[in-house]
Order: sequence, then structure tokens, then C-alpha cells
Amino acid sequence: MSLAECRSAGALEVKFVPDEDVLRHIADDAGVKVQKGKSQLIVNTKRFVKKLEAISDDEAQEILEEKNYVAVLGLCGEGTWGTGTYHRCYFGRFFLSQRLESESEYSASCSEEEEVEEAQKEVSTVLSHQKTPAKTKAVSTPPSRKTLTKKKDNMNNLVEEYFEAHSSSKVLTSDRTLQKLRRKRLNQQTLHDLLQKSPLAYAAEIKELNQQYESLFSKWMLQLHLGFNIVLYGLGSKHDLLEKFRTSMLQDSVHLVVNGYFPSITVKSVLNSITEEVLDHIGTFRSPLDQLEFIMKRFKEDSSLELYVLIHNLDSQMLRGERSQQILAQLSSLPSIYLIASIDHINAPLMWDQAKQSLYNWLWYETTTFSPYVEETSYENSLLVQQSGSLALSSLTHVLHSLTPNARGIFRLLAQYQLENKDNASYPGLSFQDFYQQCREAFLVNSDLTLRAQLTEFRDHKLIRTKRGADGVEYLLIPVDDSTLTDFLEKEDEDV
Amino acid sequence: MFIYLYVFIYKKIFLLQLSPLFSSQQRMFCLDNLICACVYFLADYFREGNSDLEDSELRFATCQSLQKQVKSETEQIEEELNEQLFDNLVSFLRRSHSAFQEKTTEWTWRTKSREIPTAALVLGVNVTDHDFTFRSLSEVLQNNVTPYIALLEAKDCPGIKNLMQKLLGQLMNCCIDVGSSEEEDYEQVSHTRVRCSMTSLINWYESATKRTDSETPGKKRTSSRHWQSPPVVVIFKDMESFTTKVLQDFVVISSQHIGEFPLVLIFGIATSPMIIHSLLPHSVSSLLCIELFQSLSCKDHLSTIIDKVLLTTQFPLKLSEKVLQVLINIFLYHDFSVQNFIKGFQLCIVEHFHSNPLSILCCQLEEAKRRVNSLSHNQCENVRRLPSFRRYVESQVSEKQIALLTADSSLKEAVRKLLEDLNVYHENYFPILRCLHVFTSSLPKYPLGKQIRELHCACLENRVWETEEYESSLQLARMLNKSDLVTMLQKCVEILVSSPGREFDEIVERLKEFLTQFQKLEETYQERDESVSPQKELQKKTNLYNLQKTLLELKESRRSKKLTKFEMLRFEVVDYIDSLVRRYLVPADHKTLHEIVYFNTASVLREHLNAAPRIALHTALNNPYSYLKSEALKSDGGSISNKAPDICIAYKLHLECGRLINLVDWLEAFSTVVTAAEGPTADVASSDQVDDVIHARFIRAVSELELLGFIKPSKQKTDHVARLTWGGC
Repeated sequence: MSLAECRSAGALEVKFVPDEDVLRHIADDAGVKVQKGKSQLIVNTKRFVKKLEAISDDEAQEILEEKNYVAVLGLCGEGTWGTGTYHRCYFGRFFLSQRLESESEYSASCSEEEEVEEAQKEVSTVLSHQKTPAKTKAVSTPPSRKTLTKKKDNMNNLVEEYFEAHSSSKVLTSDRTLQKLRRKRLNQQTLHDLLQKSPLAYAAEIKELNQQYESLFSKWMLQLHLGFNIVLYGLGSKHDLLEKFRTSMLQDSVHLVVNGYFPSITVKSVLNSITEEVLDHIGTFRSPLDQLEFIMKRFKEDSSLELYVLIHNLDSQMLRGERSQQILAQLSSLPSIYLIASIDHINAPLMWDQAKQSLYNWLWYETTTFSPYVEETSYENSLLVQQSGSLALSSLTHVLHSLTPNARGIFRLLAQYQLENKDNASYPGLSFQDFYQQCREAFLVNSDLTLRAQLTEFRDHKLIRTKRGADGVEYLLIPVDDSTLTDFLEKEDEDV
Repeated sequence: MFIYLYVFIYKKIFLLQLSPLFSSQQRMFCLDNLICACVYFLADYFREGNSDLEDSELRFATCQSLQKQVKSETEQIEEELNEQLFDNLVSFLRRSHSAFQEKTTEWTWRTKSREIPTAALVLGVNVTDHDFTFRSLSEVLQNNVTPYIALLEAKDCPGIKNLMQKLLGQLMNCCIDVGSSEEEDYEQVSHTRVRCSMTSLINWYESATKRTDSETPGKKRTSSRHWQSPPVVVIFKDMESFTTKVLQDFVVISSQHIGEFPLVLIFGIATSPMIIHSLLPHSVSSLLCIELFQSLSCKDHLSTIIDKVLLTTQFPLKLSEKVLQVLINIFLYHDFSVQNFIKGFQLCIVEHFHSNPLSILCCQLEEAKRRVNSLSHNQCENVRRLPSFRRYVESQVSEKQIALLTADSSLKEAVRKLLEDLNVYHENYFPILRCLHVFTSSLPKYPLGKQIRELHCACLENRVWETEEYESSLQLARMLNKSDLVTMLQKCVEILVSSPGREFDEIVERLKEFLTQFQKLEETYQERDESVSPQKELQKKTNLYNLQKTLLELKESRRSKKLTKFEMLRFEVVDYIDSLVRRYLVPADHKTLHEIVYFNTASVLREHLNAAPRIALHTALNNPYSYLKSEALKSDGGSISNKAPDICIAYKLHLECGRLINLVDWLEAFSTVVTAAEGPTADVASSDQVDDVIHARFIRAVSELELLGFIKPSKQKTDHVARLTWGGC
């Protein structure tokens, strides 16, 4: 229990600090340079928090006991279910930060003592309201009418300031770039090696956390069988935890592991593996919906069929679409399919509307593991990691090898032209007419229809991209960086 | 035996081959080959999570039976609630259909104007409950009206073609269900091959009805169950989400053929009936002959469920005030879904039986008494540990105390008695609660709440008679007029008579006595009327002095306020009600052994049903100490502790930035913080090496933040990322 209490206390604090920071941005320094150290700003934050703590010290115990209050805050901060709550969340935010504003005014100018006193009063009225247990639940609503009207004034100000800060598109940040840093970009491999070398911080504590969660495994199984599905949330990779669950609980039953973070996973592949591997069905389906229907029919007919589905990162780029979620939700609503999934993105719950949520029938479990997202981020083309380009290169060669020599020639032409123009920053691409002209001259095509057919094929393999210029002319581009393209041409030359 | 299955798409095959980093983790799908053996049984999972293994099987069985009971009960309630609506719908179908059968002039007139009979079913915003309603509706129709029912959902019908396909598929399938197996070869013609058009639908309908007609001599049953030439009912489950074009096309096309087969549409509407007119233009909606049906509102629905499930002694498990409050809040503020409410209740049942070893006694009284006998020593210790039981022990005399604490047999005896007490308490509690509700629900401004659930919560929370609201409602009750008071008393008598409580005879007697006294008052009233009232005296002719005198007297008499008989009686009634409340509506947690039957860990329920993933994420990032119990993190008072995990540091630093974040600056700030943590011990010589490691750590932290959705790459400026939360847009 003590852990939970600490957590709730933490939640209380969390509400304040970021708001304070945000307010700072809104209020004055929307675009001041990044502060290098943790200089004054943090000191301020610290002082502020201390102040708040001093006020609430007496009540601290009560706050801990009255977990209701924290939970109300929690509800406020959450936009889990619908827009209504979301609204309230924003309101709550302004409400809180409004108080913070008066506080920060205090630190800025001590002359306005009156206002400060009032602000203090406000804080204490809120806190004293917490004291009476009957009122605890009403904390999220403003404590009294008098303060409400006063707050409304201030809030309008705040809202205006917010939009003012965000109306100007210009953002001031320093102009330094990574290139000037004279440090080579790491590639994926060296990055991995380096990270392997540095020890994982707080390994013992993390292990303890994990053990705590592992004791829940049998409960999860029970609840899965009682018709609920389980979703895990919280900071840290839940991959290992789910893997452990799989190895310790699902050894003897049919199960399917879906790595949602894999960049090319689709719902179709999930459905395919169910029909082909679990149901031993050979044949194709016209649409995922047909396939889903087939699966549902089979599972309903045969009550002995049971399937555990583990989805890592249900909120990944590929699965978060409305249609995929709908299909997965319907799948999970089958009584003999047990779904256990993990989510990481902060806005992940927004994927689900009421209908989907009731299909999923979630039970939420917080599993904050603090373990690094090794696999989940390995596919993400990180900003700082040098793209090796090996993937793109090999796919280029692979696709081109399956094409006719003429088609290869066409692609070469385009690539060469693009490389010739690589210094031109505003190079829009090769216009279709020019391209056609060049291809004709090289005897590669005889009509623009054949060229178009070729281009369609390229486009299907994502080898080229077309875009319309300002004058309505179609321009063709190869969406690969120059070095890869050079490599490709060299390799092609070798082959020929 | 494992089979690892690799599913990837075409190009990604290289990923597998080229980068050794991933090779070990490439198991996209691991499917243990079909060893379809349920080694574990559910009860095992139930047991395994429990620290004490005792009686878990029995507990699990109790839990399951209770769950089943609740489920069937709630389903029955829902059916009853929907009955009225369905009856109306069926009679609507009958009306619209009789016209078709008789081929009356009205029908021909309608055919000429091509109007399709349509029922608009307004179901309310609780979309999640609709499924159940539609399922039972189609069941009812299937049983009583017609075998030809098609349920359409918007997501299946992006175009008119899909809609027709779906429609024909469903209709032809349901025909198979009715037709005997001999006809099946005829029906085997797969509907996918049939051209999906209105004409084929009509042909199918004609052949289908002809067939059943010719069969009638042999098979009376089918024809008796359904009507002659049964109508084709098409139900649009979620009318709002259909694309307007599809709906319009369908209506227009089918209106062309309405003379050839009887089609009836049912629109499921979640918002308001106006939506039909905003979705369909006048030219289309004029083709429909719409009749409106309103289902019961979800609020009433919930009240019934609470009334029938929670406020009875039928189910041994009870919910404490906080738990009930959580469930009601989820209902009121999030989804209005009765199904979700029931789901929450089911979860309470599981949690209670799973977490509380003494829940074994949470069953019907007779059974519980039997189970008390077979309690083990450990369980007895569990009982002794209950706070409410300890309070009970302390209130006993010392010899009894020793006996209760040492001898299991005397403990069991006491537990039996206490359980009985608890049962009696519940038997009395609910009827009295209802009586009190009769009073409070008619007071102006509803100081104790309009709904009985609010009153119930107030009573569970603490002694209701000590609250201000109760005080004010009593005052208001003292001002009730006679007719209201009488009807209320009558209602109370009804409630008490129909309830099974044993002690109510006396109360009923008393209430009846009050009623007769009121009756008598009425009789005496006439007598009193005859005595000349002072007001009448005023109307006589008087002089000023006399008038003044009488007025003064009047005032005097009013001040001293001689209570009329009615007022006295009213006070008496209210006082009596008050005494009942004080006697029977004691909060449950004042009762010994309430822990056994009351589920009161609201936090668990909230955590699992109404979770706060963002809060959890922020707590973890802002204050890692709340999860990682390490001393190094403890002194963390809002500032960045430089020993915090990398991602926390990166997160805190990014909070200081505006909409765009310069990666270089961010990296530098990060490395400053991290190196400060490692202190001067780091060698100058190896600083370059260390830098690389820090760089790598930074990259990891940033890409993790990207995965979590705090930042995204931005093209506005080189080497910048955009912030996505809290002020960053």
C-alpha cells in the first residue's frame, strides 16, 4: 500500500511542475535559448515546490489518506475516454497553472504583496476544503464563487497569453547544428555496442519492480479467462515482461505474438497468421473483413479452440489506424481469444472510442518497468542515428533485378539526372515530359504510355515519388539520399 | 516443439539478413505448434495468485456461481425493460404488414407513392449497450414475426454494393435456418455468385415464400410462428455512421420495388430523430413512412439495475460506498453504458473473492453457517484479524474475550451469530432505505438526492442522521401537507408489507395507526370548522379599538403557537421515521464482519477500469523515486536529480524548451547533467570515449521520448525536434 500511496503523492506533484514550466514559456520566454545548465529556472521550480509543500505539509497526511483527491486530479489530467474529459483536463490545467501564476508573480515582484496573500489564501482554501471529507470529491470544481469569478478574469488573460505565444510561427532557438559539432553520427551498430557497454542504471530496483508485476501473472490468466482483456501501460519497455508471461504461462497453449513496433506489420498479416497457422486454412480472402468473419465463425463453432494473442505496442504506427483497431477489437471480443497488449504512447487511449473500448473490454494494469525500449526503438529511424542506407540500397537492387533491362535503363536515367542536380537545393525533380524525351532518345520507350506503365511499377515499389509542381507539371523524384544513389549506380556499373 | 513463423513483407526481408542486431529478435510470430491442451484450469490460476491456498476452490466455485447468477439476473431485467418497446415495434410491423397482405386501397396508394414503412428507434448515446438491444430485438422478431431479418452495420457497408451483398447474404442464410435440409441443395448456390441486385432479392423472396407456402400442409409450425408472407426487416444498427449516399441510394432503389415484396426498415438512432432529416434530403425522406420509437433512457435503466441487483438481499456480495461511487461516476461521466456498469460489478465479484480469503463466507446465510463449521484454524485467525471483529471483541467482557481469541469453537459460534445479525441488518436496511427514499424524493430541492442510489451512498458513508442534509430534509418533511404525507405513508406500508423482514409487523401496525389517525383528523376537521375562527370575527363590523385588540390577540396566539392536531401528528410521524432511520440505517462498516460481504477496495477498481496512463507516465518521468526505491533518487524535490535515469533527465530538459528544441543544445545540456553526476572521477584522457557513451545514451533517451509521443522530428529547422505536449504545438 505504501508504494501506491507514494505514487499518488507523486502524482500530485507531477501536476504542478510541468505546468509551472509551461507557464513560464507562455508567460515570457517562448523562445529564449535553451538554458544550458539547470540554472535559475530550476532553482525557481525548486523553491516553488518547496513553498507548496510547506503549505500542504500539515495536510500531507490527509492527502495521502484521501486518495480520492488524488484520483480526482488523476481523472482531470486524463483524457482517456472522451472529449468531455479532455475538456475538463484542460480546464484543470488552467485552473492549476493559474494559481501558479500568482505564485510566480510573487517571485517576480514582491511589491504586489496583497495579491500574493490572496493567492496564498486561495491555495489554503483549496486545501482546507480537502479537509472536510464530504467535499473531497468536489475539489476539481472551483471552491467558491468569489474565487471563481476572480479566476475567470485571470483565466481569460491566461488563455489570451497562450494563444499569443502560439500565434507567431517564429520560434527562437539557437542555430547550432549537429554537423558543426564535429562529431560523427553514430550508426546503429556502434550505438548498440556503446549502449551495451554502459551499465543499466538501477538494475536492482528495476528487477524488484518486475518481480512485483510477475506475481500478477496468474491473476491475469484468471481475468483473461473471465472475458476481460488486459492492457499494460507505464514507462519502460514491457516487452520482456510480456515475454516472461508467455514463457511462464502460455507454454502449453496456442498463442500468437505480434510485435506491433515492427515497421511493416499490418492487421492483415496478423489475420493471415491466425487463419493459416491456427485454423489451418488454405486460401485467400477478399478483404480483412471477410477474413475476420471467417475467423469469428470458426471460433464460435469450435468452442475447444483457444488462442492467446500478445501484442507488443498496440499503439504502434502501423496498428493505430481506425480500421486496424476496429478489426483487432472485434477479434478480441471473441470469448475464446485472449488478448494481452501493451501501450506506450501518451495519447494511445485516444485510439479507442466507446464502441471499441467495450469490444476490447480492457482491464488496465500499470506496469512501469523503466527498462529501455531496446527493440521498440531499434526500428524507429532515429533522428541522430546515421542512416546506413544498406536497407534502401539492397531493396533497390533487388527490385531492379527483377525488371526488364529497359526498365532498369529508365531508372538509371532518372538516377543519373538526380545526381547531376544534387547540388541544386531547389531541384524539383525531373519533369515527365523531359524524362519522356530522354527515354525516347535512349531508345528505352516508344510511347509515353509504356513509360507511364513503367513508372506505375516503380511507384508501386516505392522507388519513385511524383509530385505536382506549381505549374501543374508532374515531377519525378527518387526518395533515396544521394550517397545511397551513388552507391547504387556504382554497383550497377560493376554488374554491367 | 516450436515453429517460428516469419511474416514480413517483401522488402523487409533484408532487414533480417543484413543487420545482425535484430537477428535474434526476428520472431514476428511465434506459434507453439498446436498442442491444444488446457493443462491449467481456471481454478488453478485463481489459487496460484493467493498467498493462502485454503478453500480457494470453494471460493472460486462460489464466485463463479454468483457471477452467473448476476449475469442471468441482469439479462432478465434488461429483457423486461425492453419488452414494451419490442411489443410496440411488433405491433407496428403488424400494422404496416397487414396493409400489404390485404392489398387494400391504402396499400396500393402507398405503393403508388412508394413509401417504405420505417421505424426510427431512438436508443440514446450509450452505443455500447445497443448491441444487446439489437440482438434481443432480432431474436424477438425471429420468433414471432419473420425469419427474414438483416442487421446492417455502417462499417460493413462503405458502398451500396457491399450493402446489398451483406443484405442478401444475411437473408439467404437465415432462410436456410428455416428451410429443411432437403432444400439445402437449392440454397447452396452461394450468394456471392448471385448478382446482388434488387431483382435477385425479389426473386429470392418470391421463391422463398412460395416454398414455405407449399410446405404449409406438412409443416404447420413454421407458418404458425411467422406471419403469412413475412416481411423483410432490414435493421440499420448505427444510422448516423452510414454514408448518406449509401442510405439514399438504398432507400430510393428499394422504394421502386416496395410493391413487390414487403420491406420494413428499422433505423437505430443514437442522437435525435432529427438526424434522419439531416442525413436524407427531402426527396428521399419523403419515400419513408417513419414512426418514432423511444427506448428507455439509460439512466432509468441503471436505476432499475441498481434497484434489482444492488439493493436487495438476493446477492450476498455488497458494494461499499466508495466502490459504488466509482462505478456510478464512470457511468455518469464517461459512457452512460449499463453494460460497463455490470462489467464493473462483475470485476468487483472476482476481485473480492480473489483477494479476500474470508469471502468463502460470502454466500447465502444457510450455506455460510455450514461453512463456518468447517473453517480451519488459519481462517479463524483471519477472522480475528478483521478490524471490525476486533472492535467487537473489545466490547465483550473479559472471559468472553479470551474465549473468542483462543478457542476456535466459541469463535465459530460467535461468527455464526454475527453473520445472522448481518443478514437481519440487510433485511431491514433495504426496505427502510426505500421508505426513507419515498420521503426524501418528494422534498423540494432534494437535499438527500433524487435517486435512491444517492441516498444509499449517503447512508453507507456515515451515520446519515448526523449530516446536515438529513437535518434539512427532516425540517422540510415537517412541512409536508397532509395528502402527500398520507400517500407516502401508504407507499411505505406497501414496501414494508412486500418485504421479507421479520420485524416489520410492528412498524406496519404503527404506520397504519398513523393513517387512521389522519383519517380521523379529517372527520374532526368539520367539527372544528364550525367553531368560529378569529378570522371570521374580523370580518364583523368593529371599531378601530376592537380591531386593534383582536389583531394583537391574534398575533399573541400565533406566537405561542398552539399546535393543531394535524401538526402534532405530523411531528409524530416524522419523529417516528427518524427513529426508524436511526435504528436500521446504520452504516455497514459499523457492523461486525462487514468485511466479508462488502467489497471496498475502490482503488483497485479505479485502477483497472478507469486508468490514468498519462499520469503514470508523468509520475515515472518526473519523480522516478516513486517507482525506483533508491536512496540516490530520494532527495529529488522537483529539480533534476542528475542521477535519475537518462530518459527522466532528457524529459526534464525538454520541458524547459518551447515548441522547437535544438538537438545540439539539448545534447549539451544532457551531457552536462550526466557528467556532473558521474563527478570528477571521469578521466580526462578517456573523456572522448565517455562522450561517445553519453551521446549514445542521449540518442536512446530521445528516441524513447519520440516513441512515447513527446517529440517528433521537425523539418522547420535543421536538427530540431518539435515538442508535442504541454504548450508545444
